[in-house]
Amino acid sequence: MSRLRQLWVCYRLQLKVMMFSPFEGFLQVFFPLMFATAALLVYRVNNDPDAMLFAGIGAAAMGIFTSQTTTAATLVQRERRAGTLELVLAAPTPFAFVVLPSTFAMATLGLYSVVAVILWDWWLFDLPLQVENWPGFVLSILMATFTIALFGFLLSVTVVRYRTAWALGSALEYPGWLLCGFVVPLSFLPGWALPLSWALAPTWGVAAMRASAAGESPWFDLAVCLGVGLAYAVLAAWLGVRLIDSARRNATLALT
Amino acid sequence: MTSVRIFFIGGLMSFRALFNWMNPWIFVPTTLLGPITQILLFAYVGRAAGVGDDEFFIIGNALNYAAIPGMFAMTFTIGGERFAQTLGLVLVSPARRIPLFLGRALPVIVNGWGTAMIGIVSGVWLLDAHIPAGSWPLVCLVVAVGCMATAGIGLVMGAVNLVYRDGATLGNVVFLVLLIFTGTNVALDDLPHWMAAIGRFLPLSHAIEASRMVADGASWGAVQGLVGRELLIGVVYVAVGLVAIRWFEHLSRTGATLDRI
Amino acid sequence: MSATGGTAAVEARDLRRTFKTKQGSVLRPTRTTVEAVKGVSFEIAPGELFGLLGPNGAGKTTTIKMLITLLIPTSGSATVLGHDVVTDVREVRRRIGYVFGGDRGLYERLSGLDNLRYFSELYGVAPRDQKARIGSLLELVGLTGREGERVEGYSRGMRQRLHIARGLLHDPDVLFLDEPSIGIDPVGARELRATIAGLREQGKTVLLTTHYMFEADELCDRIAVIRAGEIVAEGTPAELKRLVTSGRVLEVETYGVAGEVVDSVRDVAGVRTVAVEDRGPLQVLVVGSEPDTEVTQSVLARMGDTRVGRVSHRDPSLEDAYVELVTGAGA
Repeated sequence: MSRLRQLWVCYRLQLKVMMFSPFEGFLQVFFPLMFATAALLVYRVNNDPDAMLFAGIGAAAMGIFTSQTTTAATLVQRERRAGTLELVLAAPTPFAFVVLPSTFAMATLGLYSVVAVILWDWWLFDLPLQVENWPGFVLSILMATFTIALFGFLLSVTVVRYRTAWALGSALEYPGWLLCGFVVPLSFLPGWALPLSWALAPTWGVAAMRASAAGESPWFDLAVCLGVGLAYAVLAAWLGVRLIDSARRNATLALT
Repeated sequence: MTSVRIFFIGGLMSFRALFNWMNPWIFVPTTLLGPITQILLFAYVGRAAGVGDDEFFIIGNALNYAAIPGMFAMTFTIGGERFAQTLGLVLVSPARRIPLFLGRALPVIVNGWGTAMIGIVSGVWLLDAHIPAGSWPLVCLVVAVGCMATAGIGLVMGAVNLVYRDGATLGNVVFLVLLIFTGTNVALDDLPHWMAAIGRFLPLSHAIEASRMVADGASWGAVQGLVGRELLIGVVYVAVGLVAIRWFEHLSRTGATLDRI
Repeated sequence: MSATGGTAAVEARDLRRTFKTKQGSVLRPTRTTVEAVKGVSFEIAPGELFGLLGPNGAGKTTTIKMLITLLIPTSGSATVLGHDVVTDVREVRRRIGYVFGGDRGLYERLSGLDNLRYFSELYGVAPRDQKARIGSLLELVGLTGREGERVEGYSRGMRQRLHIARGLLHDPDVLFLDEPSIGIDPVGARELRATIAGLREQGKTVLLTTHYMFEADELCDRIAVIRAGEIVAEGTPAELKRLVTSGRVLEVETYGVAGEVVDSVRDVAGVRTVAVEDRGPLQVLVVGSEPDTEVTQSVLARMGDTRVGRVSHRDPSLEDAYVELVTGAGA
């Protein structure tokens, strides 16, 4: 119970930190929005309605992935720069429970970008969202957001020892958009890339969104999405303990 | 002679001083993985949408991505000095402004050109596209003109950075504007008219179009008009940038915004 | 005061810590191993205010970071309230507070109150106690009324006081204060010393590192002087003063003194330490001597062409003891 409270309070305060500058939040939303626009402009040339709907739904989810890659990789670095990394590590709360609320706060910004892209598509491309199963669709978006937060958790824990991780994070953005099948059907990707796609939770999340929109059952995709997300969490918790131990051994916590 | 020295040596040295944090862990993801993955993303979008061919997206995105080093490096060589609190020192030096800032542009252009060419070569190799051997020298030249034009817009942004502190956000926004409006992924003719109209006044639009034609085997004669227009746009942006620097420098001296961080 | 019976609040035994650093280019890095702490041992009794005194780079912060579980010692062991700092990490973290100097370590974009709330959660302060606890701490550090403002607008002194409040949120038994007064103006520093003295009255065990002598002299029950990773002396401030220079201290004001002159003064019989301090335009030669010896005449005789100003005598201060210890003179 007190753990839930801790997670909730930390989430709220981290969200406050992130919403501080309108420009940071702005870019988080604007960047995937423009890439979604660029992709839809390509689809618009032939203007096949099915393809447009496929890309329109996927484009909406692009921001979810962005919310983690760029920021999660820099999360630890930002704490380090502020001098708070050592303080939160010196607290009895396991580091995992410090990072987790932060990644959920970032994912919340991703959720905002989903809504922004949907409205933008509607306005610019006259592409209204046709969804058969609204509860399923919303649940799929939430699940995609939830699991991407767990992915961000894994990412930020993994890079705790490396100070140039921010460059890695931004390098993950485009491949993620491609591999998750947001704007390109997975069948177009080379065969060796498919296992990578399957290992990314948003792949299943966006599949569930499309299934819900088409009125098909999203439950299988949702279950796999959740499973993959939980696997991230377990892996991150395990890695977290080991990597922080190694950081204590190698004195890399205070690196600036 | 002094101006020439400030141009070359000063430019290179300030570039290196401000970018000493560039190590392979940053350089490889940003300069290699960045353009390649952006090319792949849109090449596959094109395949899925049944639009264009791979070479179309390779050239568009390689040039678009080259705008990142082109603009950011230029913004940061000016804006970065503000963070290091050295801008005031540079501005009070009696060195002439034009060679000073143009000198900073030269390594930036070389960097942008390198990034674009890495993107084109790797894209061609990865996606098995084909550019005739005889076309490569002309591709190199046209890409260089495009990079010069992006350094021009970078100079304008660097000037804005003298009075507006969030240069990184601004750089991202301009990069995204270039992505949408310059025909990176959709030929100008296929864009909504108002978008294409804006694109014709931005750097890269003409260079991208010319590069695509050259890669398809077009001769110099066929593209010289486009290259000329790209060059002209670049020169206009450089001129605007230099005037803006002078003006903002004046503003910041009267408003003391220079060293506010 | 010493550890009588019972367990010590903090115990360090032969702590060592080495760092491997990489320098030079990425292609040809040179790796060096630096031994930052070379076998440090000490005990702090419950309720004691213990000072760790030493110049920059002596290993004070490294020692503290090992005690607060942020660094794993290369060898040696340490316990805090009987819990091992390597294996019993959570038990240790629950019982200690950590405050460092300077203006980092706070969320600038949050208010002072939100910073305290955040860390209350991380330290598992019971929700029903939080409000009262935070309120009384704000009162203690004199930030009541300012807690709603964002930290980015705080002065250094306010940040430092907020840090102290943060370190006390969970009412720790042992408090580690790493150069808390660094960069604070004299008034703020005096208030800070009063706060620290108050902590001792509440029965907290405190480990304080500092390089301000008067601070250590005024506050600490016992002091260990650390130099180049080793403890070179330990005792009460009074003991330390006695330990090093029992004689009087001679101060000679000069307007610039040559190195050879300083060296030749060092050779005067009865002189134990010689240090040069800059005071404005003056360079003051501070000469510590053996007990019951009179060196004034011999020192002045060696001054040669040096322009000499006022000459005075005083009793040794802790600072003299410190200078003697950390420069290794007389050792």
